[in-house]
Amino acid sequence: MNITEPTQDKRGTTLINHWQCGVPVTTGPVLTPFLLLLIGLAALGLGLAVLRFFSPLGPFSAMNDVYAWGIWKTFNVMTLTALGSGPLALGIAAWVFNRQKLHVVMRTALVSGFLFYATGLIALGFDVGRPWNFYSALMPWRWNSESAMLEISICMPLYCAVFLSFEILPLILERVYYTANDRSRALLCRVAPIIRKVYPFVIIGAYVIPLMHQSSLGGLLLLAGTKINPLWQSPVMPLLYLIAAVFCGLGFTIFLLMIVCLRYARDLDAAVLAELANLLSGTCFVFLTIRVGDLIWRQQLLAAFAFDKMSLLFLFESAMILAPALALRFRRVRETPRALLNMSAVACLGGMLYRFIPTSIAYQPLRSTAYFPSAPELVMAAGYIALGSAAFVLAVNYFAVLPGEASAWDHAYRPFGWPRKAAQTSIAIQVPSTVAQERAI
Amino acid sequence: MSVTLSRRQAFKAMIGLGGTVTSALLPVTAHAATGAGGKSEEHPAHPIAPADAIAMLYDSTVCTGCKACMPACNEANGLPTDTLLSGGIWDMPMGLNAKTKNIIELYQDPQSDEFAFVKKQCMHCLDPACVTGCPFGSLVKRDLGAVTWNSSLCIGCRYCEVACPFEVPQFQWENWNPKIVKCEFCYDQRLKEDMQPACTAACPTKAVIFGKRTDLLAEAKDRIAATPDKYFENRVYGEHEAGGTQVLYLSSVSFQKLGLPKLGTTSIGHYATKVTSVIYKWLAGPALVAGVFGFFIRRNWERHEAERHEHEEKTGFPDQL
Repeated sequence: MNITEPTQDKRGTTLINHWQCGVPVTTGPVLTPFLLLLIGLAALGLGLAVLRFFSPLGPFSAMNDVYAWGIWKTFNVMTLTALGSGPLALGIAAWVFNRQKLHVVMRTALVSGFLFYATGLIALGFDVGRPWNFYSALMPWRWNSESAMLEISICMPLYCAVFLSFEILPLILERVYYTANDRSRALLCRVAPIIRKVYPFVIIGAYVIPLMHQSSLGGLLLLAGTKINPLWQSPVMPLLYLIAAVFCGLGFTIFLLMIVCLRYARDLDAAVLAELANLLSGTCFVFLTIRVGDLIWRQQLLAAFAFDKMSLLFLFESAMILAPALALRFRRVRETPRALLNMSAVACLGGMLYRFIPTSIAYQPLRSTAYFPSAPELVMAAGYIALGSAAFVLAVNYFAVLPGEASAWDHAYRPFGWPRKAAQTSIAIQVPSTVAQERAI
Repeated sequence: MSVTLSRRQAFKAMIGLGGTVTSALLPVTAHAATGAGGKSEEHPAHPIAPADAIAMLYDSTVCTGCKACMPACNEANGLPTDTLLSGGIWDMPMGLNAKTKNIIELYQDPQSDEFAFVKKQCMHCLDPACVTGCPFGSLVKRDLGAVTWNSSLCIGCRYCEVACPFEVPQFQWENWNPKIVKCEFCYDQRLKEDMQPACTAACPTKAVIFGKRTDLLAEAKDRIAATPDKYFENRVYGEHEAGGTQVLYLSSVSFQKLGLPKLGTTSIGHYATKVTSVIYKWLAGPALVAGVFGFFIRRNWERHEAERHEHEEKTGFPDQL
């Protein structure tokens, strides 16, 4: 790997601006014990899911008629798709607000977002009781257009299967280009201009549709009415769910970029990360302003500071969002990798709490029944997450996902050939990569 | 000074501007149309019951807790008996469940000797939250006001259970082909044949009676007027709750003690859709956002393409999308 001279910023932090394009990981073995563990967990979860398809829901989950939605819906879909909103947040920032710097990290956001959505949809598919009736989605005359559930059940698969898939198509075609024969290459050369032609039009849909369904996820809970604690139940919930998705998407993209750069010994790009951190801080402030304004408007501020269970939960959640919002205002924090990593993780957790609490902890129906996910339910939920994680690890190894220096990728060389890479790199790379890891963070 | 605008650009600008203006105006006109007429609004805050709306009136002070309505309901709806608690001997449900559409529950104060019976079943709201939420219209409000479930449209998402403030719809967790179990006012079984529901027909003390909603509401108010201090808060539960229901309750103890939730008078469907129905009217809101996004994306795309060509010429590396 070509190691570039690190440039030092004014305070002596070792950071360099060298993210130029997506570069595949070509160092180290692909099948690490960690990846095997993920694949095993994913196989276990999916195996249970297949069994669940041939069995009623009862034995597989602890859901009941009072808590009719378990963690598959409330966590895998309603909470984790917020983390998968990176393509939405970064895409709007890059293409609509012309933040050119962010183009280089779009691929990381796109792949992680696609996997969050895809695994969420798998979770949904095994969660619904009568999936065979879903063909109604293709019959508009059956649609109940006022239902937020309809909006989600149509827009989420549409977004994942059409728009996100289209956005990650260049990644896949690029790999095909480097590994295919000349005839296929010629074909791809003809396809590429078509993709470029329709791209600016398709991405309009790719940003409008998640705006719709991410807010509809909050809109779902409006119908639950008085069952949800008034600290959360509010007419602005759709808007807050959307903003939470935006800052979770930004925060998770920062977090993921830093983690994978640490893992694969990539250099960080201070300018891009600072840009993302800036946006993250700003959206957190927007979220908190609307959240507090809404509490004042609905006269719930006293309840918010009553210091009972729900109030403490609210304060904890808000503190998790306020801390990164404040901390990332300071340039010193934005440019200190360790602090940035921690703060982006805290922001993600805060946003996840906001999206999870009203569906579960603050969901207080009249009948006194408890719900805690059963073991198969937890294993399946973990399996879906492991499936996404394993797919991400494979994606960064076989596709040009992670940002890096353009010079690190020899375009003449076929970078993804599994046997050649395994033979060449598995021995030699271990030592320099650990050295570079220390240098990167 | 000449205007350097090609004909193609001019057309584009016109279409873009026209689209944006139209989509900005559409929600306003849509709002005006629904706001002014009032009748065309799909979810008014306080729905008015149609003249033919039927209802049940349950008077807790008359009910003796004989539970004659429960086997009658099971028989009419072909439901199995729930014998879990009784060790397989008789029907003994703990509450509404996948085998029980109608139940008589007992409220008893542990300290005083205060007690009351309460009958639970679907409330058949005037503007049901479950019908508003049901994605493919499996749950619908039929004529006369009965809320019924259609197995061929239901995807089993269980949103109705989350939406219902009375926690009425029940899901068959132990069935591979699960159904939503809820009281349907005996619509297909009896109402269609001009018979009253099985529970009201079976009630020996007339604690629960069947009739037109307006008649029963008047009857309930007559009872309150005849004995002013007998009934809790001197009011009928269900007259205004969640926009009004087609099952009405009279009780001498607090409705909340009977397990009936404390609800506002606004329809839940109205609360949930009052903003979105304006934004999504003819998809005008998303179209407006798409128009604005499209304008900026187009502009930034052209800049990006110019930079790309420059970059590719300079470095020789192809630019990634």
